[in-house]
Amino acid sequence: MKRNEAGSLSLLAALLVCAYALPFVVGAWTGNVRLDEVWFANLATVVVGGIMQGGVYAMFAVGLTLIFGVMRIINAAHGEMVMMGAYMAWVSFFYLGVDPLLAMVFTLPIAFLFGVAVQKVLLNAAVGAPELTGLLITFGLGLTMIYTAELIFTTDFRTIPYAPGTVQLTSNIAVGQNRVISFAMALVISVGVYLFLKLSRLGKAVRATALNAEVAMVCGINVRRIYLVTTGLAVALAVAGGALVSIQFGFNPETGVLYTLQAFAIIILGGRGHYVGALIGGFMLAVLENLVSLMVPNGTAMVELAAYGLMIFVLLIRPGGLMGVKEA
Amino acid sequence: MRDLRKAFGGVRAVDGCSFAVPGGKISGLIGPNGSGKTTTFNLLTGVIRPDDGQVIYKGENITGLKPHQVFSKRITRTFQVTRIFREMTVLENMLSVTGLAVPDRLARERAAELIAFVNLTHLRAEYAGRLSYGQQKLLEFARALMTDPDLILLDEPAAGVNRTLLQHLLEQIHRLQEMGKTIVIVEHDMNVIMNHCERIFVMDYGVKIAEGPPAEIQQNEQVLEAYFGRRRS
Amino acid sequence: MKRHEHLRNLALLAVVGLVLAFASDALSVYMRSFVLFTMMYVVLALSWNIISGFTGYTSFGHVAFYGIGAYACAILVTDYGWHWVPTLGVAAAVAGVIAVAIGYPVLRLKGPYFAIAMLGAAEGTRVIATVWDSLTHGGLGISLPSADTSFQTYYAMLALMVVTVVVAYGVGHSRFGVRLNAIREDEGAAEALGVNATLYKLAAFVLSAIFPAAAGGIQAYKVLYIDPPSVFFVQITIAMALMSMLGGKGTVIGPIVGAVLLYTVQELTWVNFPTAHLIAYGLFIVVIARFMPRGLMGLAIDRGWVRKGMVH
Repeated sequence: MKRNEAGSLSLLAALLVCAYALPFVVGAWTGNVRLDEVWFANLATVVVGGIMQGGVYAMFAVGLTLIFGVMRIINAAHGEMVMMGAYMAWVSFFYLGVDPLLAMVFTLPIAFLFGVAVQKVLLNAAVGAPELTGLLITFGLGLTMIYTAELIFTTDFRTIPYAPGTVQLTSNIAVGQNRVISFAMALVISVGVYLFLKLSRLGKAVRATALNAEVAMVCGINVRRIYLVTTGLAVALAVAGGALVSIQFGFNPETGVLYTLQAFAIIILGGRGHYVGALIGGFMLAVLENLVSLMVPNGTAMVELAAYGLMIFVLLIRPGGLMGVKEA
Repeated sequence: MRDLRKAFGGVRAVDGCSFAVPGGKISGLIGPNGSGKTTTFNLLTGVIRPDDGQVIYKGENITGLKPHQVFSKRITRTFQVTRIFREMTVLENMLSVTGLAVPDRLARERAAELIAFVNLTHLRAEYAGRLSYGQQKLLEFARALMTDPDLILLDEPAAGVNRTLLQHLLEQIHRLQEMGKTIVIVEHDMNVIMNHCERIFVMDYGVKIAEGPPAEIQQNEQVLEAYFGRRRS
Repeated sequence: MKRHEHLRNLALLAVVGLVLAFASDALSVYMRSFVLFTMMYVVLALSWNIISGFTGYTSFGHVAFYGIGAYACAILVTDYGWHWVPTLGVAAAVAGVIAVAIGYPVLRLKGPYFAIAMLGAAEGTRVIATVWDSLTHGGLGISLPSADTSFQTYYAMLALMVVTVVVAYGVGHSRFGVRLNAIREDEGAAEALGVNATLYKLAAFVLSAIFPAAAGGIQAYKVLYIDPPSVFFVQITIAMALMSMLGGKGTVIGPIVGAVLLYTVQELTWVNFPTAHLIAYGLFIVVIARFMPRGLMGLAIDRGWVRKGMVH
C-alpha cells in the first residue's frame, strides 16, 4: 500500500507539472509567449494576481471541505451560496449604502443562520444516507437559489465599483487595489477560522466529529449541534467569499455553478476534508487559471476548462488529492 | 484432481501463507479474529491483488485476475456480511449471475430450482433487502450456485443463521460435496467446522499454523495457543 | 415476465405510436410542437435512466450528448449540405464514441464524484463548442436553412421515441438489465458473480448517450437555430434527472410518466411564470430526494399496484 501511495503522489506531481506547462506550450505554439520584458512583466503580474485570487478561492473551498469533512456531504449548492454572498454585498452597497466588506458584520450572521436552517430542514436527513442523497438535495437547493435570485435580480451581470486603484508592487507589476484588499481579507478570515478549529473548544469538537462522529458522541459532544455549527460556518465562509468576489468580478445568478465546480476541483486537488489542502488547492487553481487566460487563445473561456480538467485527472490519478482523503 | 496452492508474502494480513485445498472435499479455514481468513478469500477471488505469491487452480495460474475473470474459472464465493442486492427481487438476484450461456428460459428454471433448494420459493418476488438475515444468507448461497461452480468459498455461512436454517444449509453443502464440488468454509462456529470438514487449515497473524483432519487439529498445541492465548514460558 | 405480457406491452406501444402518427394532422401547430417536445423528454429521461437508474451512476452532464447531437446535425446540414436524416445516425455515432472516451475514465469514479465529474465534462463540452470557431461557428451559433420541418421532425421524434422505449424496455427486462441493477446495488458483489462491471457500465453509458444525441439532432432541425448556451443548457440534464426521479428511476414506465407529467406542468406554468417553474424544479428535486427517493413507481409498488422488480 505504501508503494502505491508514493506512486500516485508522484503521478499527481507529474500531472501538475504538465498542467502548469501546458499553457506555456500552447502559448509558445500560438505566439503568445514572447520572452521580452513586457511579457515577463505580464507573466509576473498574472502570477501575483493569481495568488491574490487564490485567497478568495481558498476561502470558499474551505467551506465546502468543512461540510464534506464533518458530514461526508458534497454541497452542490456551495457556489450558489457564494453567489448569494455577492448579491448581499451588492444590495448593501447600492441600497443600504454600506461598504460591502463592512457589511459582513451583518451578512455573515445571516448566512450562518441560513446554514443552520438548511442543515436542520434538509441535510440532517442526508447525514449517513447514501452519498448521492445529500448531493441531490443540495443540487436542488442550488437550483432554487439560482432561479430565486433571477426572479429578484434578473440575469444581468452586476459589478461593484470598489477600490478601483492599483497597487504598484514593483516598477512593472501592478495589482488592483480591490484584489489586494480581498486577498488580505481572505487571509485574515481563513487563518481566523483555522485557529478557531485548532484552538477553541467548539472547533476541537468539530474536528473530533470529522474524525469519527460516533466516538465524538461517546465523548459527550452533541454531534447534531456540531453539524449545525459546521454548515453555518461553511455558508458564512461562502458568503464572505461571495463578498470578496463581488468587488473584483462581475456576477449573475448563474455564475454559482462555476464556483461550485471550482471549489470542488480545489478540494479534490487538496484532498477532500482537508482544511490546509483546500487553501493550497485554491492558490494552485487560481494561478493555473491566470496562466491559461494569459497565454491560451480564447483564454477567458478556456479558463473554465482548467478547473474541470484538473478535477477529472486528479480524481482518476489520485482521488485523495495532495493531502490524501480522510475517508471515514 | 483439483489442486489449489497459494503463497503470499509482503502483506501483513496474509504473510507468506500457502496451502493446498483438496479437491472434492469440504475444507475449513479457521483462525482467531483478524488472522487473515477473509483477506485470503479476497486474494483468491481477485478482489485484492497479492503483492507476491501465486494462486494456482487446476494447474492454471489465476493470480491477479479480476473478480469476474476468477468467477469464469468456476470459482464462486459468499461474503462474511451478506452482499445481496437489496432493491432487487430474490429472482433478480439469482439472474444477475453471468456465465450462463443458456437461453433465458433455462436460466429462469435453474433459478427457480435453486430458490426452491433453499426454501425461498414463496419469497421469489420479494425485495431481497426485506428478507431476514438468515434468508439473505441462503439467497447468497443459492446465488453462488447459479453457474454450477466447482469451487465454492463460503465466508462464515453460519453467522446469524438460526439452527433450523443452519441444519438445512449444511445438508445442502454436503449434497454439493457429493456432487463432486470443492468447498472451503471460513467459520467461527467450531461445531460446524469440526463436524463437517474433512481437512482444516488454521491461520494466525496471516500465517498457516496448522493443517490436518479435525481430530488432529483439536489436539494441536499451537492452535490451542492461538485461540486461548500464549502460555507464559 | 410471461411472453404474452411482453406482447401486450408491445401492442400497447404500437397503438400509442400509431395514434400519435395519425394525430399529427389533427393537431394544431402549437400542439404538434408540444407533443414533439414531450416525446423528446421521454427519450431523454429514458436514456438518462439507463445509466443513472438501472446502473446507479447518476449523471449531471448528460446534456453533453444532446448538444453534441444537435451540433453534428446542424454542422452537417449547414456546412456540408447533408440531408438531415442521415445526420442523426452520425450524431448518435459521434456521441457513442465520445461516450466511450469520457466513460472509460470517468465511470471508474463512484457516486457523487461521477456526478460532479460529468457536470464538469458537460460544461467542458460547452466551452469547447464555444471556442472551436472553425467547426461550430462559436458563440454565434448556427442557423439552419429555413424550411417547414414541423411534420418531418414530428415523425422522426416519434420513431426515435418508439425505438428508445423498445430498447429501454428490452434492457430493463433482460438479464443484461438485471446485471446493471446488480452493479447499482453492489458493484463488488456483482463482479464476484462474474459481471464485468467495466464493460457493462460502458455499454449502459453508450446506450444512454446515443438516443439523446439523436434527439438533439432532431431538435436542431426543428428549431433551426442552435448555439452553445441553448443546447448545452444545464437545465436539460436536470429535466432528464428530475423526470426519471419523479416517475421512479430504475423502471421503464417511471421515466415516461415523469417526462409526460413534468413537461406538461412545465408547459402550463412557464409561459406565465418563466422563472417560477425553474424554482419549482429545484424544490421538486429537494423534495423527491429527501422524501420519496423511489418516485411515483416506488409508491405504486409499496401500494401493491405494481409488482416488485423488473424481471418476473
